[in-house]
Amino acid sequence: MSESLLPLEAPVKDEPPPRVVPVRRTGQWASAAVVAFLAVFAVQSLATNDAMQWDVVGAYFTSKSIVRGLYMTLWLTGLTFVLGFLLGTVLAICRMSGNAVLRGAALGYIWLFRSTPLLVQLLVWFNIGALYPKLGLGIPWGPTFVQVDAKDLIGATTAAIIGLTVHEAALAAEIVRGGILGVDAGQTQAAQALGLSRFRTLRRIVLPQAMRTILPNAGNQIVSLLKSTTLVSVIGVGDVLYSAELIYGRNFLIIPLLLVATLWYLVVASLLSVGQFALERHYGRGSDERRPRRRTPHERRSLDPRPARLLRRDARAARRGPGGGGG
Amino acid sequence: MLRGVDLEVAAGEVVCLIGPSGSGKSTLLRCVNHLQPIAAGTVHVGGELIGHRRHGDALHELKPRQVARQRAGIGMVFQNFNLFPHLTVLENLVEAPVAVRRLRRADAEERARALVARVGLAGREGSYPRQLSGGQQQRIAIARALAMEPAVMLFDEPTSALDPELVGEVLGVMRDLAGTGMTMVVVTHEMGFAREAADRVVFLDEGRVVESGPPARLLADPEQARTRAFLDHVL
Repeated sequence: MSESLLPLEAPVKDEPPPRVVPVRRTGQWASAAVVAFLAVFAVQSLATNDAMQWDVVGAYFTSKSIVRGLYMTLWLTGLTFVLGFLLGTVLAICRMSGNAVLRGAALGYIWLFRSTPLLVQLLVWFNIGALYPKLGLGIPWGPTFVQVDAKDLIGATTAAIIGLTVHEAALAAEIVRGGILGVDAGQTQAAQALGLSRFRTLRRIVLPQAMRTILPNAGNQIVSLLKSTTLVSVIGVGDVLYSAELIYGRNFLIIPLLLVATLWYLVVASLLSVGQFALERHYGRGSDERRPRRRTPHERRSLDPRPARLLRRDARAARRGPGGGGG
Repeated sequence: MLRGVDLEVAAGEVVCLIGPSGSGKSTLLRCVNHLQPIAAGTVHVGGELIGHRRHGDALHELKPRQVARQRAGIGMVFQNFNLFPHLTVLENLVEAPVAVRRLRRADAEERARALVARVGLAGREGSYPRQLSGGQQQRIAIARALAMEPAVMLFDEPTSALDPELVGEVLGVMRDLAGTGMTMVVVTHEMGFAREAADRVVFLDEGRVVESGPPARLLADPEQARTRAFLDHVL
């Protein structure tokens, strides 16, 4: 009776336990070979294509006007990202306010600036003089104290800052709102029960916890914003792309100069991803004792039959998920 | 939810609220610190009207800032602990005293350390809540509420989310607290705790107080048939 429940044979003494042989992953190896072949081919064809003119790329990569353009791109991205998220946080709070007018206003703002193309918004801000030739400071329907020409006040750079910020805020508002909604309602109740003010509760208790869901999306958003800044070249703001355009407009070295701009975007986007990783770890504190040690490929193969992609996904989920700390 | 509850708790008294789920025990508790606004009636704590200001015949709702000031003097412990997971144990205890009571951080930390030791967790000040067991988290949650030096402590099923073997340590802390003369209102299913620590047990059903009395009498020999039926189920 009990033997039927134990189908395994009792191990014979002095004999090592049988070795586990992982399943052979023929398909994985075959696909890896195809991808590696294509990658080598692509790199080789780009590296040896004379039209790429790598010497020109090298010569212009750190040239004065490209670096000046890079400075403008970085500055514009950083400033509008910060301003956009500050305004977006205010909008998100308004959107969840008990006050119906604030809620409606935030909803209208998000609807308008999220539904119109950024390029159009930039063009409108740049040409705001056609709509309001004079901008003044005063009381509506009352006296005006100061008045200036719109085209003096809003130049290309100002139009770029306003356009990018206003657009970014609409997207940021939804990201921040999503993060706040993800925080357990018990946290707010506990803070209220302790007598914390609503502002303090938001700043010290809710927002830091919301950051864990906000950050991955914000990271996406800043990389997207970095690339969106190329649109300002249309209104003549001297970013990296505009500088490259100016140079190839003179010497017709189009491909190498576009490559210079592309490489810089790659470099900056990569650095931003590293920063995002560090920030995520900071705001993930308290959610997990430590990150699980990364298993070697051999361990992964031998311990878990699932593909590495799924293992990584689960590891990520365990790091992020609120239920991940149950153990 | 509640229908005409008239309940008075004396200073230093320990009152246990018992009753079937949906009877309004937790709602009653949450009315005391205005987490649950009341549709009619009044709530007083230490003689002060909670959540409202009387103006002739009308009750005017207080501003959030004024409600927050009132809540600061009423400690609350939740079923799910609700510790702040992104803050360490010490930071959990220091946050409100610094923000609300305007204590100097060093003083608040000193007091927090004493409280952590009082609930038997000295040495865990730097831990994050997730690194603690459920019982330890609830003891810290009690310490966090005590850090505000409240006049009353409210407990909303403090042991219901705990593994059975961890219930004892939390009840132990609560028993000690009752021994210090703290006024406590405890919603609980732990009849053993009610019997030992409570001065009075109140049985609620369908939003009403069915009966109340000293635990020895009410738990052993209830007057009402409904109380008896409930106790037959849980004891």
